[in-house]
Amino acid sequence: MHILDTEGLTKRFPTVTALDGLTVTTGPGVTGLVGANGAGKSTLIKILLGLLPPTAGGARVLGLDVTTRGADIRRLVGYMPEHECLPPDVSATELVVHLARMSGLPRTAARERAADVLRHVGLAEERYRPIGGYSTGMKQRVKLAQALVHDPKLILLDEPTNGLDPRGRDEMLALIRRIGAEFGISVLVTSHLLGELERVCDHVIVIDAGRLLRSSAIGEFTQTTRSVTVEVDEGTQALADRLVELGHGVAPHGRMLLVEVSGPDTLDAIRDATADLGLCLIRLERGRQRIEDVFREAAGV
Amino acid sequence: MSEIYDIGYRHYDGPRLGRGHTTRALTVHSLRGVFGLGRPARSKLVPFSLAAIMVLPAIVSIAIMALMRRAGMSYSGYAVIMQAVVAIFLAAQAPTVVAPDLRFRVLPLYLSRPVTITEYVGAKVVAMTVALYALLAVPLTVMFAGELLIDLPGPPRTKEYVGAMLTGLLLAVLLAAFGLAIASLTPRRGLGVASVIALYLLASASVPIMYSTLLSAGNDAAARWAWLLNPFWLVDAVQVWVFGTTPNSEGGYPGGPVSFVIVVLLIAAAVAALALRYRKAASR
Ligand SMILES: Nc1ncnc2c1ncn2[C@@H]1O[C@H](COP(=O)(O)OP(=O)(O)OP(=O)(O)O)[C@@H](O)[C@H]1O
Ligand SMILES: [Mg+2]
Repeated sequence: MHILDTEGLTKRFPTVTALDGLTVTTGPGVTGLVGANGAGKSTLIKILLGLLPPTAGGARVLGLDVTTRGADIRRLVGYMPEHECLPPDVSATELVVHLARMSGLPRTAARERAADVLRHVGLAEERYRPIGGYSTGMKQRVKLAQALVHDPKLILLDEPTNGLDPRGRDEMLALIRRIGAEFGISVLVTSHLLGELERVCDHVIVIDAGRLLRSSAIGEFTQTTRSVTVEVDEGTQALADRLVELGHGVAPHGRMLLVEVSGPDTLDAIRDATADLGLCLIRLERGRQRIEDVFREAAGV
Repeated sequence: MSEIYDIGYRHYDGPRLGRGHTTRALTVHSLRGVFGLGRPARSKLVPFSLAAIMVLPAIVSIAIMALMRRAGMSYSGYAVIMQAVVAIFLAAQAPTVVAPDLRFRVLPLYLSRPVTITEYVGAKVVAMTVALYALLAVPLTVMFAGELLIDLPGPPRTKEYVGAMLTGLLLAVLLAAFGLAIASLTPRRGLGVASVIALYLLASASVPIMYSTLLSAGNDAAARWAWLLNPFWLVDAVQVWVFGTTPNSEGGYPGGPVSFVIVVLLIAAAVAALALRYRKAASR
């Protein structure tokens, strides 16, 4: 089943056409929705939530039509708005418990889910303090927690990295990846930065002035090179030495190592070598060209 | 912080309750907010002090009934006599019900859930109505219980008590709808308090002046209409029409159902204003 699909979706406001004949489909996993300011990303999300009627065309979320099944969609979907939306004088726990109840959870379940979800987004003791005193990063986590608290099938995240510093951005992106991969919740995440989505998305949709520029799986965006990036906590040199010893091509790349892949056994060798040396493996991923480069090529810039 | 991430995600497969449940939960949540329950102590100070002041005349009346063996305060006049306290309560607490969600743009978090704008606004109006009604109904009922226990000579004033309880409900709906409509147009809490109070002062201070001016101009009939500009006397006029009680105004009110029609129109106008206000807020 498609997580969402739109057909000829059009939204006209009195002075602008926000969406213009948009036809896309996406499956489970993390989908990035990329576009410049005013491209129509937030408008698309509001239509998908059934809160804004399309001018023409149609859309379905989890197989449900947005114009007729809005209430059912909102039961199964979580939404994180792009703007600030948190009352300052209540605590994160109070707010998230209350919003869980607004999604139909009984009181005790709402409390348990709120505690779980706030832990998952990384809010510890501070969740009992009024939100007014939180940093931007913490507020973004609360916004994410309220979108997750009723265990939705899909969450719509509108610019979740907005206003975050580089570290906060990385943590938020890692969290989104986890939600898609480990929690088994599909994600639609918007950004005007193509680059930051390459690490977390399975599928990317690019829109411009309400029109579809491109929609494809991440693999088609990036040409997978025949190398993997390895990052370990400490002992990078020891690992490099060991892998070279075993006959693998290794090149240092900042704090990481680029290892040439000669076959499936290369990955086994990396795993065994880190284990033997007692190192802590932080990252093991395929080397990729950045999405931005692909677009620059595609656009002929 | 890293150990926090180690707990696996658990899915929720328990019950998901329907509309009735969420609307009720929102109503209770808002009602608790009116009285500052679950908030710091200072949020409880104003509502509970005002509620206590509302009960004082009932207690004094019981004392009069017990010691002097005669009726204390009338049930039908309670709201009119205590109107300033009720108005302050409305002005102080109506903004807490609607202002934060509008000012801090919390509304999308509700509307992206199975809560409709009508249910949201309805829950807020019901919560404020219940709070105002409690403010009136508790002292009336305390006083009536006192009267039954003391057993004065003659039959108990049951009809007057029931009439006051019913018109009290009408007054609570009118004040709640109006107070929330005004508060929702002024999302800054302080401004909301000030506008409700200003409007009430205007309605209560100007009415006796208009009445006496018209009266001295010899226009008795027009003078009686002046009372209807104040919600408390307006609803008292309904009480006089329906239950035949003694008017709590000088010179009485215009007869017939006109006061009731005005109340209904005012409630409809306030609800329409709320609907428009929230339709706009929802489309942001
Ligand atoms: N309610 C509205 N009334 C009129 N025009 C609107 C409305 N909402 C959005 N628009 C217009 O529609 C276009 C698309 O807006 P939208 O908010 O969907 O863009 P976006 O991709 O989310 O942009 P951003 O990155 O700035 O958030 C913009 O030109 C915007 O001005
Ligand atoms: Mg946007």
